[in-house]
Amino acid sequence: MRERSKFVPRLINAAIFILMEVAALRMLSDNADLQQLWIARGAHGFMGTVWGSTQGVKNYFSLRKTNENLARENFELHRELDTYRSLNHAVRVDSMGIRAGYLEGFEYIPAEVVKISRNKQHNYMILNKGYEDGIKEKSGIITRSGVVGIVDAVSAHYSYAFSFQNSDISISGRLGEEGAAGLLVWDGVSSRGAVLKEVPVHFKYAVGDTVYTSGHSLMFPPDIPLGIAGESRIINGATNEIRVDLFQDFTAIRYVTVVHNNDFDEVEGFLP
Amino acid sequence: MRKAEFYIVYVLLAIAQMLICNYFHVSPYVMLSILPVMVLCIPIRVGTVGAMGIAFVTGLVVDLLSEGLLGLNVLALVPVAFARNGILRLIFGAELFSRKEDFAIRKSGFGKVALAVFLAQALFLAVYIWADGAGTRPMMFNLIRFGASLAAGFLVSLLLVDVLAPDTRK
Repeated sequence: MRERSKFVPRLINAAIFILMEVAALRMLSDNADLQQLWIARGAHGFMGTVWGSTQGVKNYFSLRKTNENLARENFELHRELDTYRSLNHAVRVDSMGIRAGYLEGFEYIPAEVVKISRNKQHNYMILNKGYEDGIKEKSGIITRSGVVGIVDAVSAHYSYAFSFQNSDISISGRLGEEGAAGLLVWDGVSSRGAVLKEVPVHFKYAVGDTVYTSGHSLMFPPDIPLGIAGESRIINGATNEIRVDLFQDFTAIRYVTVVHNNDFDEVEGFLP
Repeated sequence: MRKAEFYIVYVLLAIAQMLICNYFHVSPYVMLSILPVMVLCIPIRVGTVGAMGIAFVTGLVVDLLSEGLLGLNVLALVPVAFARNGILRLIFGAELFSRKEDFAIRKSGFGKVALAVFLAQALFLAVYIWADGAGTRPMMFNLIRFGASLAAGFLVSLLLVDVLAPDTRK
């Protein structure tokens, strides 16, 4: 009896505590984008675990009938999938508009930018696709006008990515069709300005040459046009630093393509 | 300490916390907060629900009137109020509750009070830093921030315990 009299107040305390924490999480979620993403990820994980467990028990008692239905549906879906795969391949090549077209070994997933920052030194973007849509960490983000970022973290339905306009990001770029490769970084100032660094000083190029992705990076396919080479200056007498005017206008990004190298983990395993 | 005196001190310290939030930016690794010790020192007679209510309102007011994310202090402070009775019972024993006496450094011992403050501060900071980072900051950054903030907050809180919970014995 005494234990019971202690139990009820404890239950009330716990219930009020949970209510207050839910209210705090709601406030946090409404006022901060990152926290909103984080809370949504946690909530989806929790719901997934809860509903997954209960559904598992329910399904156990109707497995035979479900299996028959699934087998029939599976057959139909495989047939439809084959049709869509062939159509999708053609659409990707057209919408990408890149010279390399659809490359074997790379997976392409269209996405929409739901939030992007542009006025900081470490800019980011949030995409409306997550791991349930096939997005993986360390994937590249491109548009038909060039490279725009790298996926850093994924939740079920959203991805958090570093924008190319981030002082921590560099990508491997190449001058012209078969020119020297260097590191392309944002100039930190303008929305279309970048700098191609560490280009060997003996390599000759002309102002107006196109800069492409080199393909040395595991994240991006080669030959995606990035921008036009401008004036250069020699650094320490050894390398050239070349100004690049990017094709991509970062003030007008909405639809992007996430590209993932299927061999990324395997190749990364060789690296120290 | 009389009830009214405690709440006057409590409100003044809440205002001090707002000033700290707005003007005390030493480093991204240090988040100085005196809110956990304030909640820990709420008189025992108030009870857990009352303490959680006070913590909720305090966190909300500090969040509203200072720079930062609305709800973050509430999220971190309410667990301190919820765990307060458990912490006090663990460290000072059940007699504190049966006599309905508040703890004080001279009466309860410096070591025990310091341990209680440490636990409250650690709980608050763990939730605060975890939610503030939202899973995007590296673990090492969070650990350094936790350690530095805990050290700073713990030292400042120890100075305030005597103000919030003075020894009333004659």
